[in-house]
Amino acid sequence: MTHVGLEHYLIVSALLFALGLLGVITRRNLLVMYMSLELMLNSANLALVSFSRFNDNLNGQVMVFFIITVAAAEVAVGLALIVALYRKRQSAHVEDLTSMKY
Amino acid sequence: MNLSLMSLEISVVVLGIVVLLADLWMPAERKRMLGYAAAAALGLLFVNTFVGQCSCNSDGTTAGGMFIQDAFSGFFKRFFLLAAALVLVLAVEFSDRIAAGVSEYYSLIIFALAGMLFAASANDFTMLFVSIELITITFYVLTIFTRGKVTSLEAGVKYLILGALSSAFMIYGIALVWGTTGKFNFNELAAVSSQFAENKLFLFGVLFILVGLGFKIAAFPFQMWTPDVYQGAPTPTAAFLAVGSKAAGFVLLLRFLFVAIPSVTAHWDKLLIIVSAITILYGNLCAIPQRNLKRLLGYSSIAHAGYLLLGVAALTGAGQAAVLYYLGGYLFTTLAAFAVIAIAMRHLDSEDIGGLAGLHQRSPLLAATLTIAMVSLAGIPPLAGFFGKFLLLKAVIEQGATNHGYYCLAFTALVGVVISLYYYFGVVRAIYFSKETPDAPPITMSLPAKLVIVICLAGMFYLGLFPSKMLNLASEATFALGLIAR
Repeated sequence: MTHVGLEHYLIVSALLFALGLLGVITRRNLLVMYMSLELMLNSANLALVSFSRFNDNLNGQVMVFFIITVAAAEVAVGLALIVALYRKRQSAHVEDLTSMKY
Repeated sequence: MNLSLMSLEISVVVLGIVVLLADLWMPAERKRMLGYAAAAALGLLFVNTFVGQCSCNSDGTTAGGMFIQDAFSGFFKRFFLLAAALVLVLAVEFSDRIAAGVSEYYSLIIFALAGMLFAASANDFTMLFVSIELITITFYVLTIFTRGKVTSLEAGVKYLILGALSSAFMIYGIALVWGTTGKFNFNELAAVSSQFAENKLFLFGVLFILVGLGFKIAAFPFQMWTPDVYQGAPTPTAAFLAVGSKAAGFVLLLRFLFVAIPSVTAHWDKLLIIVSAITILYGNLCAIPQRNLKRLLGYSSIAHAGYLLLGVAALTGAGQAAVLYYLGGYLFTTLAAFAVIAIAMRHLDSEDIGGLAGLHQRSPLLAATLTIAMVSLAGIPPLAGFFGKFLLLKAVIEQGATNHGYYCLAFTALVGVVISLYYYFGVVRAIYFSKETPDAPPITMSLPAKLVIVICLAGMFYLGLFPSKMLNLASEATFALGLIAR
């Protein structure tokens, strides 16, 4: 067993971030895109917590609480928005969002 | 913790809660008054910043250095208060098109204002993140407030996905910057940032934070949301988005670049020059074929983000002061244009430019206001837009000796101004020279709406003809920010 250091945590967090970004770019369902966005936010949380653990500085973990709170508010508003759109259009796909073009 | 430094923010938040509660006891037909009362309260707070005891005239930091109060944040707080007061009056004009929850609409505008006031005072990444999210999440709701319209919902969803994406980038950037330096506070970060100027992880973090801020100001390549959201959102929301949200992005951008990481910013002039030039060209070129007035203003707002970035790219105190001055002129000009849209196009389904035909017969005042706003946006003397553009270009050309890219940038900006003349005057032509003039009745306006129009007109002329007072305010504000050492 090799020792698990800061860089391992950071690599996992970067992978999570990249996966989330890939999901937002390639998926066409709004709910899945929104899930991927949450993954990106949580990858930042992982990075903050691991930096905090290895640098012996608790400020990063305090920041994580702020991020979780803000993300919760964002999800509440975002899901309500997607539901409102679904009721109107019976679809949660981005391809159907085409009413505005020049 | 010194709460007196935050008294302005606290009173704005309390006002928002009072509006929300007053709604419970207010009979439906008197809800209009609630909006006017809130606008009047914000107007009083604005006047109070000049004549009375206001926390935004003091200096100091509180909340462990997270919250800073200086001339720079004072300048922006006045800006945001005035913008929100004018937007609230527009919201009352617009209220008959909102199906339910008019008072919530007013109070959300006030909460967004609170976020902007905190953004003006943010001196710490935590404060930066929380205030920017308070603004953005509030705007998601404000954008979809006309739920019956598909365009409004679509605009909201586009704003939501792209906004959440940019905040994910920003928060990851903050994590990287904090992880490498161990500092959240801007002043502490400034002391150590020069040691990290070669650290890849740190520079990636800075770049990611700039993604988040670039989204807020609608700079290329994070501008995709702007036209759709401006077109779909209710008109007062679009107006507040154009003025308040953009200015909040700039206050954070200036403080982040010139207070937190001045030693890194000094090497990034090329990046800023390129972003600014492309933003100007993109906004102006894409605006040419537009037929929807709000969409046109969306593209024009991208172009103006580019002009404002000229002052940031100059990396001098003069450039920063020019940004502040330009934002002041932009406030009156943009709010005037959106006020005319909200009032004159109330009976139309879409905001097609053709709907302006015959406006000069229906209401000479509105026609003249929209014309003057377009002329000021194009940057023709003697209006506010001209002097602002002049200052920005002057600041850039003065820097030309250090880097010849600045000359190219100034040239690009001039090309952009020439292109913009075409579509701005297309709007003026639609007002006065349309072939078919429909037999529409004259437009009647409420007294507060007239007041907003007059304030915007007065502001455009005052800033264009007597720039010295505003320029002093702007220079004082940038002096507090501290000049960049080169």
